[in-house]
Amino acid sequence: MKAVSDYKEIVPGKKWFSTLVTRIFFFFIGMGMQTAYRIDPDVRKEVDSWPETFSFRMAVVGGPSMIMLKKAGSFQYLGEKEVFYADVEMWWKNITFAYLVMTGRISVPNAVYHNRQFVRGSLIYTMSVIRVLNVVQTLLLPNFLARFYIKEVPKLTFKKLINRAITYFNISYGAIK
Amino acid sequence: MLFKKNVVIPEYYEFFNSVKVISGYKALETIPFELNRLGAKRPIIITDKGVAQAGLVKYVVDSFGGTDTVIGAVFDETPQDSSNVVVNQIAAIYRAQNCDSIIAVGGGSAIDTAKGVNIVVTENTDDLLKFMGNYRLNKPMKPFVVIPTTAGTGSEVTMVAVIANPEKNVKMVFTSELLLPKVAVLDPRMTMSMPPKITAATGMDAFTHSVEAFIGTQKNPISDAFAAAAMELIRDNIVTAVTDGGNKDVRLAMANAALLAGLAFSNSMVGIVHATAHATGGVCHVPHGIANSILLPYGLEFYISKSDKSPKTKEYIENLLLHVAGPEIYVKTPPAERAVKSIAAIRSITSELKKLCGLPVRLSEAGVTEDKLESIAKTTLNDGALSFSPVEVSFEEALGVLKAAY
Repeated sequence: MKAVSDYKEIVPGKKWFSTLVTRIFFFFIGMGMQTAYRIDPDVRKEVDSWPETFSFRMAVVGGPSMIMLKKAGSFQYLGEKEVFYADVEMWWKNITFAYLVMTGRISVPNAVYHNRQFVRGSLIYTMSVIRVLNVVQTLLLPNFLARFYIKEVPKLTFKKLINRAITYFNISYGAIK
Repeated sequence: MLFKKNVVIPEYYEFFNSVKVISGYKALETIPFELNRLGAKRPIIITDKGVAQAGLVKYVVDSFGGTDTVIGAVFDETPQDSSNVVVNQIAAIYRAQNCDSIIAVGGGSAIDTAKGVNIVVTENTDDLLKFMGNYRLNKPMKPFVVIPTTAGTGSEVTMVAVIANPEKNVKMVFTSELLLPKVAVLDPRMTMSMPPKITAATGMDAFTHSVEAFIGTQKNPISDAFAAAAMELIRDNIVTAVTDGGNKDVRLAMANAALLAGLAFSNSMVGIVHATAHATGGVCHVPHGIANSILLPYGLEFYISKSDKSPKTKEYIENLLLHVAGPEIYVKTPPAERAVKSIAAIRSITSELKKLCGLPVRLSEAGVTEDKLESIAKTTLNDGALSFSPVEVSFEEALGVLKAAY
């Protein structure tokens, strides 16, 4: 039988690759939401219906996060800031679930159906945030990929293509800055 | 082989429920023992005037005879639409009387009020608004026993409470596993005084819970087992419960069905039927059970019409037939016709209830006016249940379902 001193604690690994990929996706989603508010009337309508200083956080339990803040006529991506409270918080239960979703191996609706994530905050605002995220994902992703992330992909229009180009430009600019 | 196809194992699922269930004749008598087990000796009873006048609180009080457990107070003024004002009022009584546990006796309103009181006394606050929404609670709650007096909501095993805030004009929704009662007691005496129409409406509420749970997006083998049992119990007992309300066996069967449906839907979630029913209740004050009963067949028809987007849902509706109509009809019906036949079987139950006690089968019969339909459809889009719908629902589609049900 082993001696008590032979029993060592096990420090968990970092899963740095999954964390990096999730962090990059959070950046894309955050910049995408910020841009969508400027160029998409549906997103603007939703965000304008939220109270001033409304905040939205998407995060992984014990992992990366991103926060959005509505303030003074803008909807800003604030990056990975530590906050104690956000009006609506969308949490992935662990980094593996977030990574599987971000890389399209589990669709977002399926992740919700499987209970791989949970929402903290007002249900009414959550529904509105989900509608915004749906639009953002159609701006960020080509239609053949978007179907992994949302329930129903809208038809591709010229306007959508222009908006997508603006979103990509803003994300690139944000990344350089 | 017949049943094998009906068992669906998702690639991943979660199921949670921690409520101890006690069901049967004189089941109330075990409450003092259960409280003692939880370290409580001085409960407050939260109920409403109707329940008290029907003499049901007396059964609960009498069950404490011969024990050393003292009832700290009985609050019997819970209104139909619970509010934070009442919750704070009851919390003050709880503190003044040195109570250490809560017993809810009643339907959805009394149970939700009791859940609100539990939040206030546990968190030591008077501002429920701070805890509104999903997963805002952290502290373990006070011992909480629920005795339902209707067989419908399933609130005795759900982790949700809805409480109005008249000052801010909002309906506050609280969701947390911590809200689950410690014990649910089903005693047939508690539902025997329900009038036929309420028996029908609450029974159809439970039926809708079980049907939506069975086709829900978070369905799993455990929720399916509960949902199937609930559907079969309701199918076999709801008509007798309406025509022969004094039948204890039938009342106990319906109470169990409502609880099973609650266990099922709180884990597999609901969809368009509940989303439209919540909105109908919010805009036109139609009782939840009646709205669910009316909208159930139309919601299912909507899913069938969108089966190209979610073929699995149509398959689940086909499988419903086994439970809503029975094995003989299921076997005799060709697979291609099962979905439509499931809806027809549900309609035959609601039609019979309409004949027996006047349960509405159309929104127009429930006091909804046509000019309100757009407002209901708009409200539907903000209902949390819609995020669990297997297909995206637009304003026009929600309006279409409501117009069909009108």
